[in-house]
Amino acid sequence: MSLMDSLAAGLSLVGNVEAFLMLFIGLVVGVVAGAIPGLSATMAVALTLPFTFAMTPINAILLLLGVYKGGIFGGSIPAILIKTPGTPASSATILDGHPMAERGEAGRALGMALYASCTADAVSNLALILFAGWLASFALNFGPPEFFALILFSLTIIAGVSGESLLRGALSALAGLLLATIGLDLVYGTNRFTFGDPNMMGGLNFIAVLIGLFAIPEIIAMAWNPVAHLGRTRALGKSRCTFADYAKSFKSIIRGSLIGVFLGSIPGIGAAPSAFLSYSEARRTSKNKANFGKGEIEGVAASEAGNNGVAGATLIPLLALGVPGDVITAIIIGAFMVHGLQPGPMMFILNVDIIYGLFIGLIVSSVFLLVVGSVAIRGFRFVADVPKRILMPGVLVLCIYGVFAVNNNIFDVGVMFVMGWVGYIMMRNRIPAAPFLIAFILGPLLEDNFRQSMLMSGSDPSILFRGPITWFFWALTAITVFAITRSTLRKTVPLS
Amino acid sequence: MSQKSLHLRLGIVASLFALFLVLYAIPSFVFAPSNVGNIILSPKFWPFVLAGLTGIVGLSLIFNAMTAASDAPFEDEEDVHPEGSAPWMRLGALAVIMMITMVALPRLGMVWTTMLAFAACAFLFRTRHPKAALVCAVVVPLLLYAFFAHVAGVAVPQGDFVRLP
Repeated sequence: MSLMDSLAAGLSLVGNVEAFLMLFIGLVVGVVAGAIPGLSATMAVALTLPFTFAMTPINAILLLLGVYKGGIFGGSIPAILIKTPGTPASSATILDGHPMAERGEAGRALGMALYASCTADAVSNLALILFAGWLASFALNFGPPEFFALILFSLTIIAGVSGESLLRGALSALAGLLLATIGLDLVYGTNRFTFGDPNMMGGLNFIAVLIGLFAIPEIIAMAWNPVAHLGRTRALGKSRCTFADYAKSFKSIIRGSLIGVFLGSIPGIGAAPSAFLSYSEARRTSKNKANFGKGEIEGVAASEAGNNGVAGATLIPLLALGVPGDVITAIIIGAFMVHGLQPGPMMFILNVDIIYGLFIGLIVSSVFLLVVGSVAIRGFRFVADVPKRILMPGVLVLCIYGVFAVNNNIFDVGVMFVMGWVGYIMMRNRIPAAPFLIAFILGPLLEDNFRQSMLMSGSDPSILFRGPITWFFWALTAITVFAITRSTLRKTVPLS
Repeated sequence: MSQKSLHLRLGIVASLFALFLVLYAIPSFVFAPSNVGNIILSPKFWPFVLAGLTGIVGLSLIFNAMTAASDAPFEDEEDVHPEGSAPWMRLGALAVIMMITMVALPRLGMVWTTMLAFAACAFLFRTRHPKAALVCAVVVPLLLYAFFAHVAGVAVPQGDFVRLP
């Protein structure tokens, strides 16, 4: 199929009001959810997922991608106005955004955050379109040993970089892998940890586990401290972001976008490190270095470009290799599966219309984000006024309905509650939840590819090192473990 | 709490859990056909590998705690909660609400159960808007019922008492 044929096929899927309406609604939901501190973009995507069951796959995925992109931008609004990041990715935006708000320049900071976000989003989408197809065609050469080495590398980097400590991340990933062994054995069909309960034979429901891990702990945390969210909102002020501001920060925006694209395409790194790296690079090279941290508009531009540059790029490993780049794309991979699609290289052959439909939708999403973001900046006061102590019980009710709707099974609601307490205990003990969830998704794939490799080779483990592709991923895994261990040791034993 | 004590605690729990898996849980609850000759292809192999790795991570955490140079507490850690034991009481109450929800879902139906759960949680969180909370407790479950039952076609549990259209 030629490029034009693929584009036409994609356009035939998304060339209707309904598809663009879903994308628009997704952006609105995402911006509002991102703007409410405590309702992260992750939680918003997870809670929106059950509403997509009755939709066509393309509309469902566009809605979720809208929530994702909207949520990442929305997080910058409370970061600037009340010094509370709506999402972890917006933490770097506080550094200069909030001092600007304190000076009465919140409108200018928010405007720059929006323009930098939209620019970075467009750059990231372009990178996705350029590289995903190329990577997928390369990945068609992968067999079970190559996929095993790739997934192992993804898990290593996710466990290592998504928390404060490699060991706690590894513990989290191992717990996720162990939980994924529940159910019938993939080869022999015998029971593993099912305790004779037919509800557990198909394994634990993915959506129950993810909503349990990411939404319920926030509700439990509210019971622990119901007043933790209270803060003071700043007014927008009269100053606005001008074209001169944008032009002055353009270099930092493009640099931040490229950093976001690079880090986003590596599974596990995510938006927050990208935002901080982009910010520190902008500070290092800026003429106004001394103003950074005191309300420099270029700092807001760099951090927002860094975190939004990740949004499209995380879809590169998702679509091309079937490996989620972060927690949100892990949820989106679940949405693909719910709708009978398996992301990965074969999708570029079997469902090329959906791939190109998504590309078209993503390009349009940057424009929609500009419109939705402009309105959201003015309407934030209303969003911030939503009482959290009424919102959280509403989230609980939504979780119950959403999780039940997956399989019409009350058992899944119980799984969600149990996973919620597990997630809360992990949160209190500073164990990151992201490696747990991603390992839970990748666990069956990892085991399946390992056992297929062993079946192919007659149980000879040397097949796992059979060629340059496996060597490449094993080398990356070794380098990652070495680098993270060295950095951990340096933190543990400070250099004199 | 410091990183040192956290790692020591997590390390001990992880090591004990790994032992529990290897000595009891995997032999008792993972079943392998008797004709599987090669251990690598057995359904028990993968759980044993993961249990072993959990043990190694647990021991590494203990080693890390033993060799840590500093015992400084985490910067964002609260020493003592200003409300004393009240937060623990609220956590317990929330756990009870969740358990009652599970028991009541098939009997009362999802709409009525979630109405009660909403109201109970809002008051547990000491809402400053009790009237709005009560209105939301009724409206939100009804709206979700309307969507899931009539738009998404989900068979929402109706319970034994009052059935909705």
